[in-house]
Amino acid sequence: MMTTTSTPPASSPSGRKTAPIQGAWWKFVLVGALMCYVIYGAFFIAGGAVGFGHSGDPARIVFFHVPVAVLSYVCYAVGAVYGVLFLRRGKPLDDVKSASSLELGFVFCILATITGSIFAGVQWGQYWNWDPRETSIAIMLLLYASYLVLRSALADNVAHRGRLSAVYVLVALVPATFLIWVVPRIPYVQSLHPQNVIANPSNTSPSYKAVLFPSFLAFTMLYVWLLQVRVRFIQLSERRASRRAEQRGQ
Amino acid sequence: MGRHVHTAGLAVAAADPVRPSRPGWWRQALALTGKDIRAELRTRVAMSAVGVFTFAALMLLAIATEQLRDAQAVRQTVVYGLLDRQSVAVTGADLRPAWDAVGKMGLLWVLLSFAAFSGLSHSFVHEEETGTVTALRLSAPAGAIYAGKLLFNLLLLFAIAAVVTPVYMLITGMPAGTPGVLALLMLGGCGGLAATATIVAALAARAGSGGALYGALGLPLLVVFLLLLLNAASGLYTVDASVVRIIRDVGGLFSYDVLIVAVSALTFQYVWEE
Amino acid sequence: MDTRVELELREVSHRFGLRAVFENVCGTACGAQTLVVAGANGSGKSTLLRIAAGLLAPSSGRALFRWNGQELDAVARREHLGYVAPDLMLYRELSAAENLLFFASLRGISPSREELISMLAEVGLKGRGRDLVGAYSSGMRQRLKYAFALLARPPVLILDEPTANLDDAGVEIVRRIIDDQRVKGGITLIATNEARETAWGDTCIRLGSQ
Repeated sequence: MMTTTSTPPASSPSGRKTAPIQGAWWKFVLVGALMCYVIYGAFFIAGGAVGFGHSGDPARIVFFHVPVAVLSYVCYAVGAVYGVLFLRRGKPLDDVKSASSLELGFVFCILATITGSIFAGVQWGQYWNWDPRETSIAIMLLLYASYLVLRSALADNVAHRGRLSAVYVLVALVPATFLIWVVPRIPYVQSLHPQNVIANPSNTSPSYKAVLFPSFLAFTMLYVWLLQVRVRFIQLSERRASRRAEQRGQ
Repeated sequence: MGRHVHTAGLAVAAADPVRPSRPGWWRQALALTGKDIRAELRTRVAMSAVGVFTFAALMLLAIATEQLRDAQAVRQTVVYGLLDRQSVAVTGADLRPAWDAVGKMGLLWVLLSFAAFSGLSHSFVHEEETGTVTALRLSAPAGAIYAGKLLFNLLLLFAIAAVVTPVYMLITGMPAGTPGVLALLMLGGCGGLAATATIVAALAARAGSGGALYGALGLPLLVVFLLLLLNAASGLYTVDASVVRIIRDVGGLFSYDVLIVAVSALTFQYVWEE
Repeated sequence: MDTRVELELREVSHRFGLRAVFENVCGTACGAQTLVVAGANGSGKSTLLRIAAGLLAPSSGRALFRWNGQELDAVARREHLGYVAPDLMLYRELSAAENLLFFASLRGISPSREELISMLAEVGLKGRGRDLVGAYSSGMRQRLKYAFALLARPPVLILDEPTANLDDAGVEIVRRIIDDQRVKGGITLIATNEARETAWGDTCIRLGSQ
């Protein structure tokens, strides 16, 4: 009558070793070198932007502002993609990647908001104007912040954390998508603000391009690298926590 | 096979009078909404919470905007007076009303958003807190549950809006514009608000934190929604607005609603199931 | 019999966070069998039952549910099983009859008044159908859970702590229900600590370290 099954106590979730980050050295060097070039170039290589006051010098912040602003939307998209992957496949790594991308996106979004505000203040005298772009980036900041609030509220509820976070990212993707494509075009939003020219460097002199495109590249690589480092950090701290739990069990 | 075996419940489903085939999800959703309404009418928890909150908010609003409304009345008199005597040229900024119709609509929706986020979480949080989630999970699929809860929240919000809006219009003098378009606007607005509130309520209930988290998660999602709504409202209050424009603006609002419901319906099972 | 039900636990393991609850649990049950899961507190009996009922996805392994040879996934199987557990709750603001009517409507059943009365009488709640569940004692709530589980006359019964809160009459009712299930050729899966209930089973799975 008896069918006996015994259960050995806790074993670690993943015994396999995590490989070192692929090509860590050359990434570090390349990103560093590229970023140095961009910083130098922003001040010394590119000429001042035509059509802006103060001989176009404040517009140099654009080399840092635009890539960071674009990245803050890209990070969200990446986070959403990994969220979908996590819901479909259930691999914890996907959840870690999603959360890390969104954390980094939050940082980029703060930087974008601050640099944009500084530029507006120096260029047009007012630090905040409620024009479409500024409104969009502020709402994006709010969406990131609310995601982080959810994540931290679920810090000890690990069983549900991944799924609930992923669902929230996807639901918030609807307003985020509207932000990128619809909000700048709504008449109501455009009329919120009297008349400020939205900075659109269509004046792409060669020296400008020589710094702007590398700047995009540098920031994107920085993002990818930071993402990998962050994911690795989380993996290692989880492994350490499970080792500690194991030792305590014995 | 023709052999009658007396095993009630294990016989093929269609032949068993006690257990016909499973009803469609729509029926199940309606059954759930009906249960929620019955329970709500009996205990009146959500209704009273939202009701008291909303009327207190209206009162606060009336007090806080008293100065604004007086200034507006004065300004209108001044403007009419000036035009009458056709005298001094006034700059555009002076002629603009102190608090225009779209602004009033905006404040109404802020009020409704807060009302929604004080009361619409009850449907899910109550199930989670009293432990009835398991019984529901055993009886109906996730899609039907979501539809039922969404419908309940929608009805509750309609009821609130139906009461609050006329009172608000009385207090602030918000014009009705074109009644048909206004109705569509309120419909689209309530839809988006209820849809957002429902999925966020499900998330917050699962997270176990209820109240504070619910508001923190939901209100950021409403900012974009509010922009779309106010855009539609500015169309509503424009004299002789073209039909194309109205369709585009109100349609934009409805498309947002549909998207939120679609995403919620697709992802709800991941919130509901384990 | 015309239909067959089979329940199979194939190397089921589950962990909560970093803590493994049980690993590689195996077991099968076919029609007219009663399978008992026994073990100390915290050994994961309730968790295993939830996995079998499709309410929880196991960390690894599979809990297979076959009805008429067809394998049903976690959601589809719930149509064919009745579940009683301490954490199962019914609506306190509704009466017992309203609860049963509601859950029956979700399953597509519309019981007549007589059928409702007999359902309540079967679990010993005759005449108490109009009372709100909030006013019930814990023993009465436990009996109502059985009425809920038996609504669709399911081929599989999953009972977590079957006689919790029940007096002798209640225990007798449960024993009768399990016997009826066996006669009908259905499966019963029980999780328990009590020796008396362990004796009701044909096979036993014991959880927890030896």
